[in-house]
Amino acid sequence: MKLAATKPITLVLARELALAALLLVGVSFVVFVILYLSPGDPFSVLLEGQISNHAARAGLREALGVPRTWYVQYLSWLGNLLQGNFGTSIRTGLPVFGEIARVALSTLYLTLGSMLVTLLIAVPIALHSSVRGTTALNWLLTMLAYVVSALPVFWLGYVAVYVFIHQFGVFPLTARIAASSERTWPFSLLPIFVLGIGNGTVSEVVRHLREEMSRVMGEDYIRTARAKGASVWRHAFKEGLLIPMTEIIASKIPFILGGAVIVEQVFNWPGMGRMAWQAAQDRDFPVIMGIAMIAATLVRLGSLLQRVVYVAVNPRASNERRGAAWAE
Amino acid sequence: MKRYSQTTGEVGESSDLSPWKTADALDLVYVGYGLLIVVLVLVSYVLGAFTWLPYDPEQIRVDLLNAPPGSAGHLLGTDFLGRDILSRLIVGIQAYFLPGLLAIVISLLLGTTLGALAGYRSGEVETLVTYFNNLVDSFPRLVLILLVIAAFKPGIYYIMVVVGVTGVPAVASLIAGKIEFLAQKNFIEAAHVLGLPSRVILLKHILWHHCMPLLVIQATIGMGEAILIETSLSYLGFGVQEPTPSWGNMVQAGANYFFQGKFWPSTAPALSILFTILGFHLLGDGLNGILEGSAGK
Repeated sequence: MKLAATKPITLVLARELALAALLLVGVSFVVFVILYLSPGDPFSVLLEGQISNHAARAGLREALGVPRTWYVQYLSWLGNLLQGNFGTSIRTGLPVFGEIARVALSTLYLTLGSMLVTLLIAVPIALHSSVRGTTALNWLLTMLAYVVSALPVFWLGYVAVYVFIHQFGVFPLTARIAASSERTWPFSLLPIFVLGIGNGTVSEVVRHLREEMSRVMGEDYIRTARAKGASVWRHAFKEGLLIPMTEIIASKIPFILGGAVIVEQVFNWPGMGRMAWQAAQDRDFPVIMGIAMIAATLVRLGSLLQRVVYVAVNPRASNERRGAAWAE
Repeated sequence: MKRYSQTTGEVGESSDLSPWKTADALDLVYVGYGLLIVVLVLVSYVLGAFTWLPYDPEQIRVDLLNAPPGSAGHLLGTDFLGRDILSRLIVGIQAYFLPGLLAIVISLLLGTTLGALAGYRSGEVETLVTYFNNLVDSFPRLVLILLVIAAFKPGIYYIMVVVGVTGVPAVASLIAGKIEFLAQKNFIEAAHVLGLPSRVILLKHILWHHCMPLLVIQATIGMGEAILIETSLSYLGFGVQEPTPSWGNMVQAGANYFFQGKFWPSTAPALSILFTILGFHLLGDGLNGILEGSAGK
């Protein structure tokens, strides 16, 4: 098959996948270096508390054939990761991968939901101000977005808990644990809203969307659409809203995951963030390492999705050398 | 770290009008508020460093629990142990001020170096820098910090080194973009033709004359983010420990009282965080609007 006959989206997707894989190898290397430099190498960390005698440990290393050089250690560790073997939690003694998989879904639920909330707040403000220009209402809304972005999310969580749980008794406190499974979802709205409002990205999302929308509104093809009486919105939607929206959300995934650590702490939400906190508290290295790897994978997946959307709505993109270079 | 889009104005061949004279009124208000916060933080930092405080921040007064703000002698009231909140807020600045500066210095130095490399020497160097940026951006910052905490149990300064490194990509990509943009300008070409060494052109003509505003803006934003990280860590229990106050652990310590309806001990530090971070954000955005001529409104 000739190269030109391949669909551009396939080509771009393949390149982006390769890039993402390359980056994840880098991520794993960074994690390994931190693990390697930490007091006590990975194997003594794993053996911690089990064998205290130094000579016995050294003997065990020999017996197990633990490689001495760092790159052999790295490669064998990476091989284990690729097979889904993330090691065993020091605290619980259970395999890390299973532990994380157990809670990953509730974190995904929390973060995806809060992204939606952020967009629901930011998109109307951005659209309104890009269409209407600077009015008193716009200024007020923009200020509000700024204030909301500077709010410490843990305090916002307290306010939400106090108002809804202590005053109105709407949501049971330990929502997801206490509630029976079919009634779970309404209770989880509170942390989702708190993270969506308080993840500190609202003002930047507003700003990015407004700039892009204003720019597109000034383009020639919008003027043409307006002149011939076609729908301006339909023409401006892709480049003015859809692309910037996916761009900014993909670049904010790390922030939202970071915010999830705090919100899960406030709401006692059994997710990856709380697990990361617990692991850092206990120096449970295999767990925090696994969470870091999975979080980085999620970030890469997000930007991969963003590229797919970008190429799908804009076929020209496959010819551009824009790639991952400087794209957020 | 947040990043701004580059504008395509005639930077370089600049007009004689000072950007401050043509500035948007709203931007000036933002910058004014931001500067006010910067001065307040600076003054409070000095006061705290020399312990020129109204009260001892750790002195417990059982006879004066949860005094409301404005009560006699205690301007901002007292907390659930009768400790003076104003003194605790002032001392709390110690927790983030110098560490935050360290993070900023690292972001700016490393970011400028990488950005200059990438912008001035395209090709493999640029690819490498791009890879580094994307690599750092792959980690959620808080997760990376928790990883480092689990590995080393480091002090706040070491954590701020990590924060500084995570701020590098934003600075690097801005500087690289700026250099690529400036490199096509007449005055840079003229400098090359005149035979000036690249080192002089890069350091003086590009970085010193045209990247300074950008770096100042990134520094203010960096401070806002350092405060956010420090307060979050203190809140999570990994930063400054009680009874030494930091804004984050003050919010956390007041939690139980908050749920009993005694909001102030948690709310006072929360509002301090809010107004301070807001100040640094607005300062950055205002300066960006004025100096970089962004259509940020």
